[in-house]
Amino acid sequence: MLLEVRDLHVEFRTRDGVAKAVNGVSYGVDAGETLAVLGESGSGKSVTAQAVMGILDTPPGRIAGGEILFQGQDLLKLKEEERRKVRGAGMAMIFQDALSSLNPVLSVGDQLGEMFVVHRGMSRKDARARAVELMDRVRIPGAKERVKQYPHQFSGGMRQRIMIAMALALEPALIIADEPTTALDVTVQAQVMDLLGELRREYDMGLILITHDLGVVADVADRIAVMYAGRIVEQAPVRDIYKAPAHPYTRGLLDSIPRLDQKGQELYAIRGLPPNLMDIPPGCAFNPRCPMARDVCRTDVPPLAEVAQDRASACHFWRECLHG
Amino acid sequence: MGRYVVRRLLQMIPVFVGATLLIFLMVNVMGDPIAGLCGDKQCDPATAAQLKREFGLDKPVWQQYLTYMGNVFTGDFGTAFNGQKVTELMGAAFPVTIRLTIVAILFEIVIGITLGVVTGLRRGRPVDTSVLLLTLVVISVPTFVTGLLLQLLLGVEWGWIKPSVSPDAGFGELIVPGLVLASVSLAYVTRLTRTSIAENRRSDYVRTAIAKGLPRRRVIVRHLLRNSLIPVVTFIGTDIGALMGGAIVTERIFNIHGVGYQLYQGILRQNTQTVVGFVTVLVLVFLVANLLVDLLYAVLDPRIRYA
Amino acid sequence: MPEQPYEPDGAIAGTGAGGAMDLAASEAQTLERTPGGPRGTGPQGKPRSLWSDAWRDLRRNPVFIVSALFIVFLVVISLWPSLIASGNPLNCDLAKAQQGSQPGHPFGFDGQGCDVYTRTVYGARTSVSVGVLATLGVSVLGSVLGGLAGFFGGTGDSVLSRITDVFFAIPVVLGGLVLLSVVVTNTIWPVIGFMVLLGWPQISRIARGSVITAKQNDYVQAARALGASNSRLLLRHIAPNAIAPVIVVATIALGTYISLEATLSYLGVGLKPPAVSWGIDISAASAYIRNAPHMLLWPAGALAVTVLAFIMLGDAVRDALDPKLR
Repeated sequence: MLLEVRDLHVEFRTRDGVAKAVNGVSYGVDAGETLAVLGESGSGKSVTAQAVMGILDTPPGRIAGGEILFQGQDLLKLKEEERRKVRGAGMAMIFQDALSSLNPVLSVGDQLGEMFVVHRGMSRKDARARAVELMDRVRIPGAKERVKQYPHQFSGGMRQRIMIAMALALEPALIIADEPTTALDVTVQAQVMDLLGELRREYDMGLILITHDLGVVADVADRIAVMYAGRIVEQAPVRDIYKAPAHPYTRGLLDSIPRLDQKGQELYAIRGLPPNLMDIPPGCAFNPRCPMARDVCRTDVPPLAEVAQDRASACHFWRECLHG
Repeated sequence: MGRYVVRRLLQMIPVFVGATLLIFLMVNVMGDPIAGLCGDKQCDPATAAQLKREFGLDKPVWQQYLTYMGNVFTGDFGTAFNGQKVTELMGAAFPVTIRLTIVAILFEIVIGITLGVVTGLRRGRPVDTSVLLLTLVVISVPTFVTGLLLQLLLGVEWGWIKPSVSPDAGFGELIVPGLVLASVSLAYVTRLTRTSIAENRRSDYVRTAIAKGLPRRRVIVRHLLRNSLIPVVTFIGTDIGALMGGAIVTERIFNIHGVGYQLYQGILRQNTQTVVGFVTVLVLVFLVANLLVDLLYAVLDPRIRYA
Repeated sequence: MPEQPYEPDGAIAGTGAGGAMDLAASEAQTLERTPGGPRGTGPQGKPRSLWSDAWRDLRRNPVFIVSALFIVFLVVISLWPSLIASGNPLNCDLAKAQQGSQPGHPFGFDGQGCDVYTRTVYGARTSVSVGVLATLGVSVLGSVLGGLAGFFGGTGDSVLSRITDVFFAIPVVLGGLVLLSVVVTNTIWPVIGFMVLLGWPQISRIARGSVITAKQNDYVQAARALGASNSRLLLRHIAPNAIAPVIVVATIALGTYISLEATLSYLGVGLKPPAVSWGIDISAASAYIRNAPHMLLWPAGALAVTVLAFIMLGDAVRDALDPKLR
């Protein structure tokens, strides 16, 4: 395993109480594999990723327990300086909003070249040349001229390519992409996603793709982890999950995708709202919204149980779900 | 850029005219412009009438203003109460006040920004709370009280400085007066820097910089500071004009013979030409400083383009 | 003006006491940017929830409670100074001049032999009246002019903006010296008049900015589309949202006006004895600062604490209205 997260707990201390954002998440990514992490906002998918990268805001955030093994090493036991060297070089992150995630007052060349200056000790001139190369690699036209420009002078798609170039700079073993296409126009989304997939294959990197868009997932991902209220509720290879979900929440998500063959029918929507993280319902966190909920769901937390080879579901009634 | 500068210069004209006219009216309507011309005594009516004619004071105010401004643009700022040319007074006074302002600005930059960065990075910690409280106290105590207390403690009780500044007014003597002049702005720079740092610290691009594996120092200096200081730098720039105009109190406390002192004398003796002349120059300094700050803004923040 | 994310002009004209006014102006800018209430709570984003949320925060904020209580105390002793001071502030005995603390006269005597404690208590009335009345005048004039200019735009707006520029170019203390140098009076009205005359542009700029931002809110556009009249739009939809930054700035400005009154007295203009004010007393005491510092410290301390209370009150209100900065 390239990356293995074991029983991770993250909480945020706020004035109004403690928000439990991640409650015992475990997942793994192999080299060359793409794991899609799916969930609504507030499900803890981004927080888990930030904990892996080591960029949680602490305080108010706090890692309350668990292990993050990267290439066999527990990142949480590293000193901050060693941890820093892993960031960017060993694993890199692509953020959702490239406009706000790039520094507005530094040229893109400076921001790309900085990776080489800091991690590889290159001169500014060499770093600049590598920046141009990178921009070519992510297919930004006129890289040589545009390297001096500032983020606001690029279009949304081009900016996201720069983010990707920055993540690829040191050819890390793992890339975490947090909703990389959400902020883009639909037509540009596919281009950026294709580019990302292509580069991932070329470098044989592991990829964690955080998204709430099931459409994106089907094409790119090998496996899917569905998160709800800070827990993984279902984990499975991508094909299996589309065929037959083993958790009512996953089913709800799949049913709420508009489909051409159901034109004219009312679109399904999961009722209710995601839980308040300061006050997660007892038992299965999904029970107040679940169409299959029974008494046991309101008292016992369902364990993440293996339901088939390489598949797991955290539902007391996964059998009914899977076969019903 | 060139067109923007021209447009800004054109925009400055009405403000310049308005501000000088306003002060001209205030001085003329409120005061007696020939008072003081006959020494410390009142002029006798005949002399007064003659003087008024001589200075064109029997004409309507707007005509007087035009004549005055016409003279100003040929470099003639008129005569002060003691018969000296106002330009001579300016030649003596401005270098002193400029030195005082430089000292004050240095305090703002060095102490204000340092404290702001330190507290901004440690929001809610004891350092932050105590510095924040200190800035509030500095803002709450009027400058003249701060000045008097510092003069009493450092000058009289402990004898570290001379309580009043010599006519040369070298940089060394202006350190404490400069600190007094800077005090309120200093507190403000601290607060502004703190807010700016604290706001940007949570920004996405700082998170990116951390995710890139940059050392903490580099994240702070190159990414956080560079962005956070933009509003601070512009504040300090615009403060130049304000400090020079606000030096009256400080100069009075430490007996510094600068712009504020001359203005104060001019006002006490109701000498129109001194007051209007000095204020005209101050307004110009203020406007030019603001223009420079706007241009500096474009250099600091590439997102801004002037059209 | 260039397009800039931060508008530095709010923090320009500043001299001595004036500097703090700018502080208010700029700190309120964060509010200006989020006029609909950062939390935007309530079904229609109505301001009521903004205010009730803010009130809930304020009630739990010790800084707010302490400064508010102090201000209430101050107002009470301004109205009825004899509640805590039995003497007469003008009843002085030259034989006791400059004497220190003694039984019945805890703060000692000033240069004229007046009781410093009594004078400090009675001085509150002058300072508070100047502060409150000047703030009221400035706020009303500034909000009306700035609000209308921001709402209607056009030529009137441009003219008003240029006029405020003119006022910002004149240092406050300097203006006060010129205007008040010829007025000899022992009433507070000339001082208040001067503050209103030179202070309104500050509020006007804030009000204009926040009305312009509030005007762009979706629900205002919606109300306009539904045919609401201009006056209804302004009073019912825009004013409640745009008023928050004005209140914050005005509260902080109130403190600085009190400070400015003292500064002007120190420079020898404005109020003159036999008026009783902290400014006059501090100014008189500055001549004796070496021999009898107590004469300076008591009124100066009272002044500083008062200004501090208003600044902290404004600060607390701003924090409550703008939780983003927490």
